[in-house]
Amino acid sequence: MNDTQPAAYISVQHMSYSYPDGTQALRDIDLKIDRGEFIALIGQNGSGKTTLSKCLNGLYKPSSGEVIVDGLDTRSTSIVQMVRRVGYVFQNPDHQLFSANVWDEIAYGPRNIQLPADEVRARVEEAAAIVGLTSDDYEEHPFFLTKGMRQRVAIASILALQPHAIIVDEPTTGQDIPQSLEIMNFLQRLHDEQGHIIIIVTHDMPIVARYAKRVVAMGQGQVLADGPTAEVFANTPALAQTFVEPPQITQLAQRAAHLGFDPRTLSVDELVQQYLALHDR
Amino acid sequence: MPPIVEIQNYTWRYLHADVPALQDINLTIEEGSFVGVIGPNGSGKTTLAYSLNGLIPGQYQGIKEGTVKIAGTEVESYRPGELPQMVGVVFSDPEAQFTAMTVEDELVFGMENLGLSIPEIRERLEWVTDLTQLKPLLEKPPYEISGGQKQRVALAAVLAMMPRVMVLDEPTSMLDPMSRKRVFDVLARLKRESHNTIIVIEHNLENLVPLADRMILLHNSRMALSDGTEAFFRQVDTLTEAGVYPPGGIAFFHALMKHGAFAGELPLTLDAAVARLEGLMSHE
Repeated sequence: MNDTQPAAYISVQHMSYSYPDGTQALRDIDLKIDRGEFIALIGQNGSGKTTLSKCLNGLYKPSSGEVIVDGLDTRSTSIVQMVRRVGYVFQNPDHQLFSANVWDEIAYGPRNIQLPADEVRARVEEAAAIVGLTSDDYEEHPFFLTKGMRQRVAIASILALQPHAIIVDEPTTGQDIPQSLEIMNFLQRLHDEQGHIIIIVTHDMPIVARYAKRVVAMGQGQVLADGPTAEVFANTPALAQTFVEPPQITQLAQRAAHLGFDPRTLSVDELVQQYLALHDR
Repeated sequence: MPPIVEIQNYTWRYLHADVPALQDINLTIEEGSFVGVIGPNGSGKTTLAYSLNGLIPGQYQGIKEGTVKIAGTEVESYRPGELPQMVGVVFSDPEAQFTAMTVEDELVFGMENLGLSIPEIRERLEWVTDLTQLKPLLEKPPYEISGGQKQRVALAAVLAMMPRVMVLDEPTSMLDPMSRKRVFDVLARLKRESHNTIIVIEHNLENLVPLADRMILLHNSRMALSDGTEAFFRQVDTLTEAGVYPPGGIAFFHALMKHGAFAGELPLTLDAAVARLEGLMSHE
């Protein structure tokens, strides 16, 4: 690498993807994801979010164009190499969990990439500790855990492979607000303290406003908008094509922009501060 | 006329559970009202739905105290098959209730079981497919349509039975924003055009709040709050304790209240919030 600029961790260039039956799911995607990013992938069902996620971790290979992860072309890289770099947590942890106890579930990945037994043990213990599971939980059958706990086991089983980037598909669907915040705060810590790239695939715009620094909005298999969260929320024409609405507080600020409010507002506190400042003038 | 729902000193504990799923519930709902029920997972919301349509105590083992009456009659006293005509429940996972090979058969199935005449079935089918905009999908197998369409089929199938009370248990939790909005559009039309009592259990408040006449908060198996929608959201401390966050517009004006910058009614819709903010700014 001779560039003075460090290369993006994930680089997608002119990538298209068609399913085996010929249906084109993604068209001419260009995307660069750097180390340290926290990204939300948004859009309607069927817009291509999940397909794109599976192209990023090499589960699907591009029909044309390329996906380069950590310098490796996903078409010529083994799945063993890929799972160490990009992890994908399914929307429904039950689609992913299949072992009879928590330990075996988390150990499955490291064993599968043929790490030595002591390394497997170390990885499982570390991953379990990061998600807040203790040795008391190791023998539990995942089936008897709560949904929130099952999701943690699912995330731990991905963490044990130590991927640099973690994609979580709809982390908050079916969760109540305290559970959603717990999962998101946990992903935030992985991002801040462990330096992971976090990519969430979600319909939950208040969650996007609160956690994601960058939003990639998809529609009809294309990237319709890509930029800092507040700017994408303010890009009304692009957002209209995705049928996604910003959080109500952002919509309120946008519709009160003529009164001096900032249309890129993301939180209630920001809008209150703006109100008080305008009031004092 | 007795209220459509009357729950008195009601406690339900599932067999083998250490604590009751619902405790000391007292709740009266007048016919034709639109009620939102919120609360954390595990607070008893689904148990409340099951208690209204007789699944509890009929299909579950447990210990019941107090009474649950629908239109003045205790749920246990209805003859088999009568209660589903009074109370219909739509669940968050519509596939769990599908049995037929086409959407049309799915919608007709319940009505046939009620023993309705063919002209009556035709008329109701016409009405529900129009209301839920399912006409183009009638010939399709229910497993081939999208999640949002499935949820509208589930809703239509229950509506076709014309129950006086409709209970929707997290009807949009698995849907994307546009499908979610279309389900709430159906509920808004139902509220305008029918005299049904509608009870919606939801986490997603932005769509629910503009429709709800009244809101109920369940927390730790008890009814922590029950009030008209605007008065309900004034009690932010109780809501926050239960992990409930009001929609942004309400939260903003509540915060202004705390700063002594606002004293009127909380706006329940985005339009109302914009109008109120414009009003505040023009007074200066």
